[in-house]
Amino acid sequence: MSTANVTLFDDEFLKKLEYLNIISKRLFAGRLRAERRTRKRGTGLEFADYRAYVAGDDFRHLDWKAYLRLNRLILKLFEEEEDLPIYFFVDSSQSMNYGDPSKLDYARRVCAALCYIGLANLDRVNVISFAGGVKSEMPPQRGKGRIFKIFRFLTDVTSGGETNARASFKTYCTETRRRGLAVVISDMFDGNGFESALDILRHFRHDIFVIHIASHEEINPRLKGELQLVDSESNISREITITPSLLTAYRAEFAKYCDSIESYCGKYQLGYVRTATDFPFEELVLKVFRQGRFLK
Amino acid sequence: MTFLALTPIQAALLALTTTAIIIAFYFLKLRHRRVFISSSILWRRVLDERQSHSLWEKLRRIISIVVTTAIALLIAMSLARPEIESLTGKNERVVIVLDTSPTMNTQTSDGETRWQHAVKRAKSLLDSGGPTTEFRVLDTAGVTASAFTTDRNEARKLIDTMSPKSADPQFPKVDGISQVYFVSDGVAIHNTPSFVKRISVFETANNVGITAFEIRSMPSTPLGYEAYLEVQNFGPPTEAGITLSAAGGQRINKTVRLGTEETYKDVFDLSQFAGGGIRATVQAKDDALPLDDVAFAYLPIKRKTRTLLVTRGNRYLETVLKLDNYVDLSVTDPANYRESANIDAYIFDKFAPVAPPSRPALIFGTPNAVWLKPASGEIQKPEITTWSEDHPIMQFVAVHDVAIERAARIDAQNLTVVVASKQTPLIVVSEKPKWVMLTFDLESSDFAFHVGFPIFIENVLAWFNRDQLALKRSPGIIDVPLGNAQIHTIDGKTVASEQQLGRTVFVANEPGLYDGTQGDTRVHLAVNLANPTFSDVNRSVFKTDRAAAAQQYWLRRELWFYMLLAAVMLIGLEWFTYHRRITL
Repeated sequence: MSTANVTLFDDEFLKKLEYLNIISKRLFAGRLRAERRTRKRGTGLEFADYRAYVAGDDFRHLDWKAYLRLNRLILKLFEEEEDLPIYFFVDSSQSMNYGDPSKLDYARRVCAALCYIGLANLDRVNVISFAGGVKSEMPPQRGKGRIFKIFRFLTDVTSGGETNARASFKTYCTETRRRGLAVVISDMFDGNGFESALDILRHFRHDIFVIHIASHEEINPRLKGELQLVDSESNISREITITPSLLTAYRAEFAKYCDSIESYCGKYQLGYVRTATDFPFEELVLKVFRQGRFLK
Repeated sequence: MTFLALTPIQAALLALTTTAIIIAFYFLKLRHRRVFISSSILWRRVLDERQSHSLWEKLRRIISIVVTTAIALLIAMSLARPEIESLTGKNERVVIVLDTSPTMNTQTSDGETRWQHAVKRAKSLLDSGGPTTEFRVLDTAGVTASAFTTDRNEARKLIDTMSPKSADPQFPKVDGISQVYFVSDGVAIHNTPSFVKRISVFETANNVGITAFEIRSMPSTPLGYEAYLEVQNFGPPTEAGITLSAAGGQRINKTVRLGTEETYKDVFDLSQFAGGGIRATVQAKDDALPLDDVAFAYLPIKRKTRTLLVTRGNRYLETVLKLDNYVDLSVTDPANYRESANIDAYIFDKFAPVAPPSRPALIFGTPNAVWLKPASGEIQKPEITTWSEDHPIMQFVAVHDVAIERAARIDAQNLTVVVASKQTPLIVVSEKPKWVMLTFDLESSDFAFHVGFPIFIENVLAWFNRDQLALKRSPGIIDVPLGNAQIHTIDGKTVASEQQLGRTVFVANEPGLYDGTQGDTRVHLAVNLANPTFSDVNRSVFKTDRAAAAQQYWLRRELWFYMLLAAVMLIGLEWFTYHRRITL
């Protein structure tokens, strides 16, 4: 845990979370009910439908008034009230420990903010740290009071290892079958390609939201001269001579890479937000809300 | 390719070492700054794409090595001073000898002079040869002698400072290793070493010149002078106007008809001329050499010498002095002798005052005086064995048959002995103070009966303080027999001079009349060309040799200059491409 992490979720941060919570409620007034009704019929309070009584049904739900009128046993059906599972996949590979502030710190803050809002909406929040595989995961949390537990979990997340999102998602999803909202917070630098990883989430029918974090140094590198570039994940180095044309080519490649992710998300109607680490995280959270996918 | 500064083996070693060092340096790993990046995925894509698609990426390292090695080799090999004979010519030494004899002033038909043509030819020689060719410029007057240089501009500037001298020309000493070119009209210098390539600037010209001009005294007439003039025609028959003119306005004009090679000789009576400078000129049509058309001489100014004879009685001396129209004689007894400011010269007969007189003195006998040489004995019947005919007091005086009964023996140290016997000096001269002493008296010799005696007295008095005839000199370096003398032209302008071994030396390249003064002593110098050798401007003996034309080469400088230039350009190119990361 870096020194910066100690003050990662300070009082100021908590105030911002509360502010975001209030703002999000105003933005999505009428839709910010905690309950999410599913098609499953259950023991909820909201009436859903009638059906004929069959043996074995709970006769406490018989509509006696209808029996008197129709002389038939009719069973009242109620909608099952169900909380929404939200899975926060936080990339904690070594590449996330880059930039000032680091992408991981930024990811933790964003994740914490979204978790807080999710908890406040009584959603079931899961936080998963991954790199080459699932490094650590937090059991589902519900209710605003659990936010500090999430803070602790996020604070304990450390960067390291090479990214393999596909393996990580596959491992997690095969263990957890319940569908939900999968929020992937990552720099999207995966040697195996992020598309296949997102394919896994799609395969398990998760609603996917991608938060792509890039540092300013990645977007617009200020390199000069004869350099030995060392990959922070693989430690593979390469000697190059930085030229203006090379920097231009890199920037073009970066833009192309981002576009490819964005177009993939657009193609499969996945939520996608790209941000730089110098962009205020609260602005980003609001940007996420405006996309309308996070809260339903 | 050959190398001027290194042997071929040394040059090869230098090239190999330089190349090895450069390549070694090139392959030394440059310590790249390590920079951690989050992921090399994108960089790998960019670099792989660029390397796989660009042949230049593969070549530029090799090109950088080649360019750097080329720069180093160009610099290193330029130190060896390479030369390629086909480009720059071979390394050789060229000596250009310019004839600076007076005849080079002769005008040519195009209005220029032979000298101007010679300068052009010499400069065209400088333009020839290769960049490594070393040039040396010499003249025939012994004034200009440059060191060997490849700097043609320096040689050109030197040539521009040169001019014909009126001094006797001499072909300078040159070795046969160098290419020697002699640019001349072939008139004054005939003999040149066989290896010398001659370039002639000769063109026939008309010339009538003064070949001799002098003023000489007439022994029969005290202070009488005549002018002797020789004029020679070195062209076709022509008329020549001769003029003798003096500063006082006196003038003699004469026109003569001269055939080819004909010489006109004449003596002019100058009795009507006041003293001073005399100028002789000759005018002829189409005369090409002005230098010998004028000549100068000096006619001594006539005035009486106030002379005091101090004697107890000497009939011979008194008679001789009284008969001299240019002597204002006073006679006194030794007892009544007093020095006077109105006396120009003293003659002491067997007497000498205690203190030396302030004016020059002629002393007969060997009287006892501190300022004179004391007699240390007596010589009976000394025979005159030597005398100096060149000394002014002995001009036209023959003493070989003078009989002397007895003479005093003296030590002639610090004195000039003019006449001497084997045993003792007989006539000695002191330059400072000015006096002449005979170690015998007139009564003990027959000198007074000789025809040369009056002339001797006249010469002595003239030498004491009368105007002298001008010393004859040829143009060039003029030697004046006076130490620390001030030299002036006839117009009174001061001429720069130098002191050499108690004499004064100055340069006079043109004919003229000069004065040299040192205290009361004054000499006149008549500087005249007056030399038939120089006036005969058509006496050329050689033509331009066939081999005299030198080859010209395209490159004007040594190869090292172009190599360094190329190195600088490559460095500039490398700098430009490196900073734009075009090359490594």
